[in-house]
Formats: sequence, structure tokens, C-alpha cells
Amino acid sequence: MPVFQNLSNALVLASTYILMAAGLSMVYGVLKILHVAHAAVYTVGAFTGLVMYTWVANFWLALFGAMVVSGVMGVLIYRGVYFYMLDAPRTVPLIASIGMFVMFTDLLQKKFLMGPYQKALPVEGAGMPALNVGVVSITSTQMLILVVTVALMLGVYLILSRTRIGLGWQAAAMDREMAGAVGVNLNRVVALNFFLGSALAGAAGVLVGAYNNSVFATMGDIVSYKAFIIIVLGGMGSLPGVIVASILLAVVENFLVASVGYVLPRDAVAFLVLILMLMFRPHGLFGRE
Amino acid sequence: MSKLIVQNVSKQFGGLRALNDVSFETESEILGLIGPNGAGKTTLFNVISGFLKPTAGKVHYNGQSLHHYHPHRIVELGLARTFQIVKPFGDLTVLENVLSGYGMPLYRRPQAFFRWYRTPVIERAADEILALTDLTAYRNVAAESLPIGVQRRLEIARALATQPDFLLLDEPAAGLTAHEAEALADLIRTLHAQGKSIIVIEHNMAFAMSLCQRILVLAQGELIAQGAPADIQSNEQVINVYLGKR
Amino acid sequence: MSGYVISVAIFVGIWVTLALSLNILTGYAGQVSLGHAAFFGIGAYTSAVLAVRYGQPFWVDFIAAIIITGVVGTILGLPSLRVRHDFLVLATMGINFVVVAIFKYVDFFGGAMGLVNIPAPSFFGATFRGGTPYLILVWGYVVFVWAVSWYISKSWVGLAFNAIRLDEDAAAAVGIGAARFKIYAFGISAALAGGAGSLYAHFIGSVFPDTFVFVESIAILSMVVFGGMGTLRGPIVGAIILKAAPEFLRFVQDYRFTIYGALLVLMMLFQPMGLLGDDSWLWQLLKRWFGKKTVAPSEEVAQ
Repeated sequence: MPVFQNLSNALVLASTYILMAAGLSMVYGVLKILHVAHAAVYTVGAFTGLVMYTWVANFWLALFGAMVVSGVMGVLIYRGVYFYMLDAPRTVPLIASIGMFVMFTDLLQKKFLMGPYQKALPVEGAGMPALNVGVVSITSTQMLILVVTVALMLGVYLILSRTRIGLGWQAAAMDREMAGAVGVNLNRVVALNFFLGSALAGAAGVLVGAYNNSVFATMGDIVSYKAFIIIVLGGMGSLPGVIVASILLAVVENFLVASVGYVLPRDAVAFLVLILMLMFRPHGLFGRE
Repeated sequence: MSKLIVQNVSKQFGGLRALNDVSFETESEILGLIGPNGAGKTTLFNVISGFLKPTAGKVHYNGQSLHHYHPHRIVELGLARTFQIVKPFGDLTVLENVLSGYGMPLYRRPQAFFRWYRTPVIERAADEILALTDLTAYRNVAAESLPIGVQRRLEIARALATQPDFLLLDEPAAGLTAHEAEALADLIRTLHAQGKSIIVIEHNMAFAMSLCQRILVLAQGELIAQGAPADIQSNEQVINVYLGKR
Repeated sequence: MSGYVISVAIFVGIWVTLALSLNILTGYAGQVSLGHAAFFGIGAYTSAVLAVRYGQPFWVDFIAAIIITGVVGTILGLPSLRVRHDFLVLATMGINFVVVAIFKYVDFFGGAMGLVNIPAPSFFGATFRGGTPYLILVWGYVVFVWAVSWYISKSWVGLAFNAIRLDEDAAAAVGIGAARFKIYAFGISAALAGGAGSLYAHFIGSVFPDTFVFVESIAILSMVVFGGMGTLRGPIVGAIILKAAPEFLRFVQDYRFTIYGALLVLMMLFQPMGLLGDDSWLWQLLKRWFGKKTVAPSEEVAQ
């Protein structure tokens, strides 16, 4: 019994990782900036979703709203901060990103926003059916996450591969200078990137908040670290790699906690994996250089 | 005398064969290495100087195999190189760039912790090199703010600071004015007169022909000709490679 | 001086040494580390364990903290060799996380409850925890760490550090093996941070895992970058400002992190070289006011 159920739960967990990591990968892919502030975008998304849901009592509207707000926030971060640091040494945008992360997280904890405690987001599946396939049962909320993730990832894939601007991104991810030289409007491509990637993070925030029925200011920390680890695992700029790596990590985490128990916290698993990866396969499991 | 032997060296990058069974020897001469773009000239330098490992073949210097040697160890043996795209230490001044070469004997020793790099003795030696390469005017200027021609001279000066017997110069005349190129040629002849062996990668045919005593021609990873400049210039294969079938 | 001010000065001193030690790794050698708090913690815990479990006196704890943290730092520097620049940051984050997890979940280190009852140092029979004697001890260490940094910057090792920061290939071309010097940088910077950890442990009297989390690494790196990475004056000033300010400004205390974060962003936007970095507005101003006027003719040629 437990194996398949664990797998199913892992898939749900993986979905949230995928949304986070795919978004981060898109941003990192072109600019090569370690966008630590991605965690703040995620949390703002969750918070926006919460506020909107309390306001209009419709999950889909709340999700949409959260994605838009997060997306815009991402674009603002790019245009207002990173834009001026594109040729600076690596530490500059990194510290700026850290600064934004610290700032937003702290602000969100102030009483007039989220306050220091967690809030409930009782979504209960938003009309999604629950599923019982043999020994595996999927709750309606889990179904919700899976469906939304698949839909969003499909959307992103279509945009990247079918639209002109998506192709521009792929070119820019491979070689920024060349892409500029052949007429790709880098500014627009990157801005779109940030919008999409951040929107995905916002969606992830809402979904996780709904799943755990809890939204709080520091919820982005661990997820964003794991997103980085997943990007390393899956190879930078490789969307299929991100998907596979997310699933792998979620499965390992779930099974390790289930079987070995609490020797080390579950999150340490991710970091041990990272360190091992960096030592033995620095280019990721599938990444191209 | 310092002798460099390249023996059946091949280098493969995935599906691309950058070097194919290249062999030659050189000793106390000014050797030119020419060939069309993408021929593998810089790759060959990278293999010799240890930045790349050959897929096959060997490199011997003074009877010693350079197999498995890291680039910083090869410099210690007396083989120095410059880069096709100049790599100065941008934040450092011209003088400090050159000084860095003088540390070569010390970097792997504990003395590196205890000796300071700016001593009168070493500064004097560095100033001599600055004079030789006509860089004295830029002594205390940050390397990154220099024009390309000056940076190319700095590349050579820095390599000279490691007191090499053998110099690999990768397109040292690229981007230089005719006047600067002539000065560079004089410098190379002077270094040769001092007993150094030099291999020069060069695109400018006239420059290479007038400067070098012997020429190697590389095309698509293969050594298609070697000999005196006059012979090379009349070599049919060489002419084809450059003019006809590319 | 009031006891409160002395305590703040002691904390500031300890963080100055943390910033200076990180500066050697990140500012000189260019290895961006977001895990320096791990070394801080290893030093603190080494001291704590030796004092509490083995009853060793302060000086043994202190020297051991420096040596052991240095060794561990050297070992932890090994993965950095295989890793591309961007990933080094992640790797150091991971190391930080794992080290803290070990402190938290391994009983030998006291687990989540930490280790308490670390005795105060004593000299010739007089014990002191805090107060002016400890202040002198801590700032004596500051002078020591500063001297080490200064000495390194003048030596071939310092030149090598700068070389690998600027261009590893060019460095190899002059005989500098990047791997060796990265390890040196990790070892030295870790050892010095370990000493700070020991001073911290004996001052507070207890150590807890959560003091050394990733957030603290961010704080230390921020001090270095804010003040001017790669210089000697930068980390000192950065640590003093960022550590002392919240203590003295109530308003700032509540919004401490918001201001911290905003400060970092603004700094990077307008003065990415740091407050006292070589090309910073403030440093150029200070040089004009207090420095000698020397314009070498060669500089004009280069224009």
C-alpha cells in the first residue's frame, strides 16, 4: 500500500517544486543571477491568493490574481534592480537579491500585512474531484495541484516553443550576446521571463498555502533553497530536467522520511543531495554546459 | 637547449576533431603557426601548455613528458604562453601584473606566505621587463583601462616575468597598428637572440613570413605543411587551403 | 563606559573579525561563500565542547577552535574546487545547513538545547566574562585578524588570491594553481572565524545551533559587501555599522531586517563597490580631503 500512495503524494509535492524550480530556471537561464528573491515572490503570491480568496471566495480568481501580482512583482524586480547590474560582478546582483528577499520577508511579517503567524487558506479542492485508484487515494486538493501544475507547465511549454518571444528566450539562454546580435529584444524577453517565472512561483505559493491550509511569511525559505537544488540537479536551463529532478527529489524525500524516519530533518536530505551532486556531477544529472 | 616534441597529438571534442595526429619538433627557433580560422592553432597551444588534455598523443619538453601536468606546473618547467583574447589581471596595475609572474618559483612553497611581493629587487627586475616591452609609461595604471595594443604587450611582459625558455604567443599582433607590430617583431627577435625559443600563432601572413624561421601550417586540425617561409608560400596545398577550397 | 556599551562593543568586535575573515575568502580570493556562519559555529561549538565536556581552560579551547575550524574549513573547501562559481554559493549554503543540522540533532553537541555553562576565561586566578578585560581580549583579536589580513595582502599568497579571483586561466599561466590557493583561502578564513566563535561562546556562556544558521551567513557577507569587499577597511566599517546600528536605534530594531535589506539593495544599485570600496564616492572624497595629490604622468598617457 504505502509505496504507491507515497508515490502519489510525492507527485503532488513534486508539482509544487516544479512550479518553483521552473520559474527560477527561467530567470536564471538568461541572466545567470541567483535570484534568491524568488522566495519572496512565492510568498507574496500566497498572500495575494489568501487576500483575494477571502475577498471573492473563488479559488480560480484568487489563483489568477496571485499569478498576476507575482508576475508583475517579478518584472519590477528585474527592471528596477537587476537591470542595472547586468555587467557587474556576480556578487552585486546576488547581494541585491538577498537584500530584497530579507526586506520583503520582514515586511510581510509586520502586522499590517501577514503578521508573524500563519493564516488559514481553506480551499478544499475548489471543485476538483477526489480520486481513488485502487490503493491510491488522491484528495481533491491534491488533484487541484496536479491539474493546475500540468496546465501551467503546458502553457509555459507552448509559449516557449511556439511563440516568437519564447524562441527568443531559448536563444538568449544559450548565448546572450549572439541573441542580441541577431535581433532578439533582450529586454522584452527577459521581462517576459521574469513575469512567467514569477507567476509560476505565485501559483506555487497559493497551491502550497491551500494544501497545507497555512500561509506565513517565511514559507518561501525552504522551498526556494530546494528550487535551487533542483535546478542544479536537473541542469540549468533544462525544463524537462527540472521536472525530472523535482520528481526525483520529492520521491527521495518522501521515501526517506517514511522509511528511515527522523535521523536528520527532511530538508537536510535536499542539501546532502546537493553537496553530493556538486562533488560528483557538477553539471547536473542531465544538464548541458 | 629547450626542445619541444609534439607527438601524434589529437584532440576530440565530442564529435568534433579539433586536432588530428599532429607531430613536430622545435628547438631554439622562431616557429610560426598559421592556418585558417578554426584550424586548431589555439587548441594546439592549449594542449601543449596543459589547459587541455590530448585525446591521443604526447607532448615532451626537455625530455620530460607533459602528460597530466597542470598548466601552472608546466610554467614552472619554463614554458610560458599568452592568450588569444588577452587576460590581464584587470584590477592590478601593469607593474603588479608583471610581478605576479615573478612569484612563479614561490607559489608552491611555504615562502609564498612569508615573502612580500613588492621588494626592491623584484621591482627592479620587473622594471627591466617593462622597459623591454615599452610599458614603462603605464607602470602604475590599472590593466583593464589600457588600450588593446598595450594589453597585448602586457601579456608578453607577464609571461616573460616567469623567466621562460620557451614562449607560446597566441596572435600577439592582432589588433596592433603597423608600427606596434614592427616593434613586436623586434621584441620577438630580441628574445630569440637572448636564447628563447618561440612559437607564434599568426593570422597576418606577411608578419609571420618575415619574422619566423620556419612555419607550420594547420588546417582543420591537420598539419599540412612545414618548412621555410619561401617553401610554404609556394606550397600548393597551403595555397588551396587559404584561397580555393575552404 | 556602561556595561551595555561594552557588551555591544564586544559583539561588534567579534563580528568585525567574522567580516575580515570572510573577506579573505570572498574579497581576496573571490570565492563567494554563503556559509561562513558554519565556521563561526564550528569554532563556538569546539570551544564549548572542550570546555563543558572536557573541562579545558579558555586558552586551550580558543587555540583548538582556531585549529580545528581551520582544518574543517580546508576539508569543506575541497568540494568548492569542482564547482562552478554560481554553484559555489549554493554549495556553501548547503554546508551551512548541514553543519547546523548536525549541531541540532547530534546529542554530543547538545542538540537543540545547545551547550550551556561554558566557563568564563580566567587569567592568573581572575575570571572575567565580559567587561573591559574581555573587550580588550576581543579587540586584541580584531587587531590580530586585521594584521593577518594585511600581511596576506602584501604577500605572494595575497597576490595569488587576487589572481585567481580575477582570472584563473591567467593565474595558471603565471604558475598559480587555483585549487591550492582556494584551499588556503578556505582554511585561513575558517580558522579565523573559528577564533571568533570561541570568543563568542565564552562571552555568552552558551551555544545554540540557531545562532549559526544561513541567515547569519547572509549578515556577515552583507557586512563585507556593504563596507567594500576586498579592502581592509571595508569589512571593518561594514561590520561596525551593520552590527552596531540596530543596537542603538529602537526604531531600526523593529524594522531591522527591512532596513538591512533595503540598504543592501540600494548599496548595490548606487555603490556596488561598497561604502569604502576603491571607487566609492565616500572613499574618493576621503582621499581628496586627506590624501596627497599625486597624478602620475603615465595616467594621463593612458587617457
